[in-house]
Amino acid sequence: MATRVLLSIGTKKGLFVAEAAKSRGRFALRGPFGPGVAVYAGLIDTRATPRIYASSCNAFFGMKVLRSTDLGKTFKETKSAPAFAKDDGRALANIWSLEPGDDKKGLWCGVEPAALFRSGDGGDSWEMVAGISNHEHARKWQPGNGGLCMHTILRDGKRVHLGISTGGHYLSEDGGQTFSAANKGVGAGFLPDPNPEFGQCVHKMARHADAPGRLYMQNHGGFPDHPGIGVLRSDDHGKTWKSISKGLPSDFGFPMVVHPHDADTVYVLPLDPATRTCPGASPGVWRSENGGDSWQKLAKGLPKKESYFTVLRDAMDLDDLASPALYFGTTTGQLWIGRDGGERWDCLFDALPPINCVKVAVV
Amino acid sequence: MDRPASAQDEVSTASILVHVPSQLRDYCSGASELAISGTDLLTVLAEIESRYPALHRNICDETGAVRRHVNLFVNTHHIRDLNGLDTPLSPGDVVTVLPAVSGG
Repeated sequence: MATRVLLSIGTKKGLFVAEAAKSRGRFALRGPFGPGVAVYAGLIDTRATPRIYASSCNAFFGMKVLRSTDLGKTFKETKSAPAFAKDDGRALANIWSLEPGDDKKGLWCGVEPAALFRSGDGGDSWEMVAGISNHEHARKWQPGNGGLCMHTILRDGKRVHLGISTGGHYLSEDGGQTFSAANKGVGAGFLPDPNPEFGQCVHKMARHADAPGRLYMQNHGGFPDHPGIGVLRSDDHGKTWKSISKGLPSDFGFPMVVHPHDADTVYVLPLDPATRTCPGASPGVWRSENGGDSWQKLAKGLPKKESYFTVLRDAMDLDDLASPALYFGTTTGQLWIGRDGGERWDCLFDALPPINCVKVAVV
Repeated sequence: MDRPASAQDEVSTASILVHVPSQLRDYCSGASELAISGTDLLTVLAEIESRYPALHRNICDETGAVRRHVNLFVNTHHIRDLNGLDTPLSPGDVVTVLPAVSGG
């Protein structure tokens, strides 16, 4: 029986783990693991005995994957990290996403430069997924400010959705054998053709597992000449997209998460496109309870002014308790909890290193 | 029939001492120094890859390039001031692997 709430917090200076009872009162912090090394991706895999995985982006010695089998009390490197073949010409620069694979030890991993890898043994060995990694478009994708990263992997049976910055959204309907660009309605305000087949700067995608046909996308918005392209929804498994940004203070942002018990409830954290900080220096998570048709700001307990932090693409998550809590981490090292679905915010930790990613699980 | 040893064979079995920084010793059973055969840096790295593949992955990326923030020295000279990975080595030469200094 699940009794604890576990947070994996990837920072510029290593991985932290925070743990609390289900009441989510006091969170105890431990770490940093992989000290001094930036962590951009995390996964708390609860399919069997819980395992925590984290990327460890060592600027000196290359990428590592860290694994814990004791709820984040200790971490060890897996036997290997994803790597391109010697004659491929590409070299791994970062790991941006870790997701559960087909069986209990299966993992999928999105990397920089944008490519997809799979492991069948909990991260000890990896194979590249050629269908997307060697896609005819792959050598035409361009890096965004964060690098050319594959940051989102969503799976639904034989369907696989991938989010690439900048590459766009790619869809497989054969379990990852082949992929097609699926960006109809996804704009690219930074290209001469604002509606290209591919090359969009997708920031994050999300969906509810029980409603896989409905997907949400935080795209790179903030273009006055192309209003509304930043926050999108698809109701046909990602084949076409439409804007749902009306009512938001900005259509620019990075993270996007869906309520664990309601596929129509989605959360974004709008940012000013120029500074990539909270609009009006007044942060808030914005919630829609009708699939993006209307939005409501959730900011009770958050600073009302003079607040200039950024929340990165993987730095917001939700637990799946009956009344779920949201969590987000800031580039200024604060970890916030939004109780009752974001109605009441408290700062759990206010002086961590800059936070890249936050994952939560009830274990 | 056995071939007589040549001067080239003697050179090829020459021992080069490779200093391993503390951060990487877990990848070579804790050794701080390795005796490696080779006639130039490339062959030394190839031997390291063969004997200690995990150690090699920390020094070089998949393309075989030395990682950007790893410095290699032959005796006291940085390999960028020599012939890079083609720098010839002589018996008794010392190769030192060091992470670059950084901060922030």
